[in-house]
Amino acid sequence: MAIADYPENMPDQKGFFGEYGGSFIPEQLQVIIDEITAAYIEMKQDESFWNELHYLYKHYVGRPSPVFHAKNLSSKYGGAQIYFKREDLNHTGAHKINHCLGEALLAKKMGKKKLIAETGAGQHGVALATAAALTGLECDIYMGEVDIKKESPNVLRMKVLGARVIPATHGRKTLKEAVDAAFEAYVKDPVNQLYAIGSVVGPHPFPMLVRDFQSVVGREARAQILEMTGKLPSSVVACVGGGSNAMGIFSAFIKDKDVELYGVEPAGRGTADGDHAATITYGKPGIIHGFKCYLLQEANGDPMEVYSIASGLDYPGVGPEHSFLKDNGRVNYQSINDKEAVKMFFELSRVEGLIPALESSHAAAYAVKLAEKKSKDDVILVNLSGRGDKDLDFVVENYGKEYGVDKLG
Amino acid sequence: MKSYNGAYLVADYPDRERFISAALKSLEFFDFLEIGIPFSDPVSDGTVIAKAAYDVIESGVKFNDIMKSIDEIKSKIPADRKLYVMTYANHIYHRGIQNFGKIMNDHGISGMIIPDIPFIESRRFTDIFEQQGLEFIYFITPESKPEQIKQIAQSAKGFIYSVSMRGITGSSMNLKADIKTAVADAKTQTKVPVVLGFGIRDVESCKNALETADGFIIGTRMIELLNEDADNSSFNKFVEELKAKF
Ligand SMILES: Cc1ncc(COP(=O)(O)O)c(C=O)c1O
Repeated sequence: MAIADYPENMPDQKGFFGEYGGSFIPEQLQVIIDEITAAYIEMKQDESFWNELHYLYKHYVGRPSPVFHAKNLSSKYGGAQIYFKREDLNHTGAHKINHCLGEALLAKKMGKKKLIAETGAGQHGVALATAAALTGLECDIYMGEVDIKKESPNVLRMKVLGARVIPATHGRKTLKEAVDAAFEAYVKDPVNQLYAIGSVVGPHPFPMLVRDFQSVVGREARAQILEMTGKLPSSVVACVGGGSNAMGIFSAFIKDKDVELYGVEPAGRGTADGDHAATITYGKPGIIHGFKCYLLQEANGDPMEVYSIASGLDYPGVGPEHSFLKDNGRVNYQSINDKEAVKMFFELSRVEGLIPALESSHAAAYAVKLAEKKSKDDVILVNLSGRGDKDLDFVVENYGKEYGVDKLG
Repeated sequence: MKSYNGAYLVADYPDRERFISAALKSLEFFDFLEIGIPFSDPVSDGTVIAKAAYDVIESGVKFNDIMKSIDEIKSKIPADRKLYVMTYANHIYHRGIQNFGKIMNDHGISGMIIPDIPFIESRRFTDIFEQQGLEFIYFITPESKPEQIKQIAQSAKGFIYSVSMRGITGSSMNLKADIKTAVADAKTQTKVPVVLGFGIRDVESCKNALETADGFIIGTRMIELLNEDADNSSFNKFVEELKAKF
């Protein structure tokens, strides 16, 4: 598949990005997923749907989100100019609302009664609970027990919004287990529920559908940066968990051959198995949760337990489109560890007054490293995918002392 | 015509010894046994089977251990009793399709049941397995299109697995008119038995299944019976009951 055709012909009709993606799900579910694909393709051609979605983007989410030139940060590190696409300013505090509204409108159109999903950091859960409230759908969110403790403000927000938060209690009790639990609930009643998956993962059509809804980020950012700087950025940087915010911003630049794209994975607390979630860096192709992708797996063939300080990044798989973009070399995948991410959490807060989500801190931390190697004329565009309010308690409790912050005053 | 029935067990659950004993016992009645190789993300299994699979993984049982249990079962059953492996695509993909097939051949497995490979994705697997003489078991569902049923009926080996409802293992049996139509449709076009699975748990539902299909598969109920005591007595009693009734 040539980049020149990108992304109009991606994925192919069966949902493949090269050898990745597809649909590895039980036959009885395939029939229903086919209905979702058909409904989405129909909806995609319907102008009134896009009008409704763009109305909500503008008046409900607050789009377009601005692009901000982080001059303090740029001059402190003395290299390239760093710009942030401010997805943190969206209603609900992250990019996730972009696809949740699309998924909710799709569910509504298909006559579904309930939206269900997994959530890691709680951002997707909050965004989906919000979209469900807005569209009058019921909402069940599955979340690992460990993440429920860590992300308590988001858990409360989901509940206030009227969603049920259902703990996943097996395994490491984090994101993968939440996906397992949501999948299990979904297959029990795929007729009345829509599994509004939280990233560019899962069986076809979800990686395509979530990317399409997130592509607004890239389209806006490309126009904004052209207007602000008169040229394209030399690099675009985004963190990669499942990869939705990254696909959103990358999608507008893939054909711009001179723009380098960087996906930043979580290196966690070390390179040993189970200590990170750097899927593309250390994984090999496999099949999980209905799709083929790079996968961190044990010698035995079971998905590996994974870890990252950022709950939204600790997933053993990754979007099929990222897997494809890795193999064909268009995107460069790097990693940032917990310590570097926490350091950037405080750095960005104190130098620019922006408290980033721990996920987004990974992207910002890599951007600074990259900036140091570039010239002052270079522009690095970073997707600041979310704000860090949700992470405050956790970060202060575990790292506050190091940075002079004490919870008790 | 005599019915053609199968039981599903999770490999080495609750432990190796009780698994082997349950397997041998069930093959006194059942024509084939589906042996589940646990995968930690079982997208087609309900709570009972998923938990059993998870327990096996947690207890440290490895793929090779399971193959040893299979060898022992194989050595103690009549030649007309067939063993199938039921597992998820990544276990196969991870080892290489060709290599996985060879392992199955080496251990006397007749074929594979892979619930996360729908018909549209099956070619890359079946092309290889068929050359190796292994049966790739196809599913039909209440929503299967007539064209697909025809293709499946004509290429099926071993048996056709008809899923009696939308959903996953452990849901209750709900024989809707449309699966009856699908089963009837498949039966007229195939040489292999069309067997009904999912939600079959007692003599009553077995009888219901036989009104429509050539046989039945019991899964979740078998695991529940193993959970009822520590010596397989409930399990053995149930198999005896089936022997008496059918
Ligand atoms: C702020 C933020 N950024 C990034 C992610 C990671 O998701 P993705 O890789 O799909 O963008 C999350 C997930 O929860 C998030 O909350």
